[in-house]
Amino acid sequence: MLTEIQEGKALNSVVRHITQEKINLYAEASGDFNPIHIDESFAATTPLGGTIAHGMLNLAHVSEMMTSAFGRSWMSEGKLRAKFKEPARPGDTLTIDGKIGCVEQKDDVSYANCSFECRNQKGETIVTGETIVKLSSDKE
Amino acid sequence: MPVKTISYEELIPGYKFPPAPYELSASLVSKYLKAVDSAGDGFVPPLAITACAIAAMTGSFSLPSGTIVIHASQELEFFKLVPIGATIECHIGVAQKITRGKMSMLILEFEVFDKGKEKVQSGRATIALPT
Repeated sequence: MLTEIQEGKALNSVVRHITQEKINLYAEASGDFNPIHIDESFAATTPLGGTIAHGMLNLAHVSEMMTSAFGRSWMSEGKLRAKFKEPARPGDTLTIDGKIGCVEQKDDVSYANCSFECRNQKGETIVTGETIVKLSSDKE
Repeated sequence: MPVKTISYEELIPGYKFPPAPYELSASLVSKYLKAVDSAGDGFVPPLAITACAIAAMTGSFSLPSGTIVIHASQELEFFKLVPIGATIECHIGVAQKITRGKMSMLILEFEVFDKGKEKVQSGRATIALPT
């Protein structure tokens, strides 16, 4: 958990390696068996040229970073907006970075507005977006 | 999972899918945590809930074989912690359907409720697919 909330503070980065095994497991857990994720011979014939990770699998790593920084506040009162820019593929290593952009006060409640970016090992942006987390209420 | 699928052509703004119930069992959560390389903290990760909702959405309509569905953007809001073993219900509707050239964009909205009918999550997904 972050001990100090201040504007511009970087969140602890998350680094994850994508494998076909994890993609297959994610398909089983989520129920999303779209062949572009799990059927290597089908995916090879598409313009993508091979299987890709589920967008929500990549986004799960962003949520991991937010949970690590803000704990249950994120899990119970977080907001997220994300754009999927490029697919992540088996063999990719994703690094998720984030930082607190500003801390806002609304109706006696503090909120941290954060930005995040998920990049692969080539530096390509895979997912980008913003999050909002409730920090505290003066009434609490 | 929804028992019936409809064709993509039948999806029009305002269409509501039949509610889809999910049990967030310990084995499902464990599989999810292994897939995303996370230790977890005793509650269902919010994105595991979203994953079920997204799967319910994309699994609710049928597309021509070989169609690639691209998840373009996602908005989410979480309202409460969900314990492992809880049953949730996903309510999904079509907000917009836009065709631009050879691509079609489908904007789907969803709300997830727990057994006590309390909202645990809401979201909006933009899905792009070739027409």
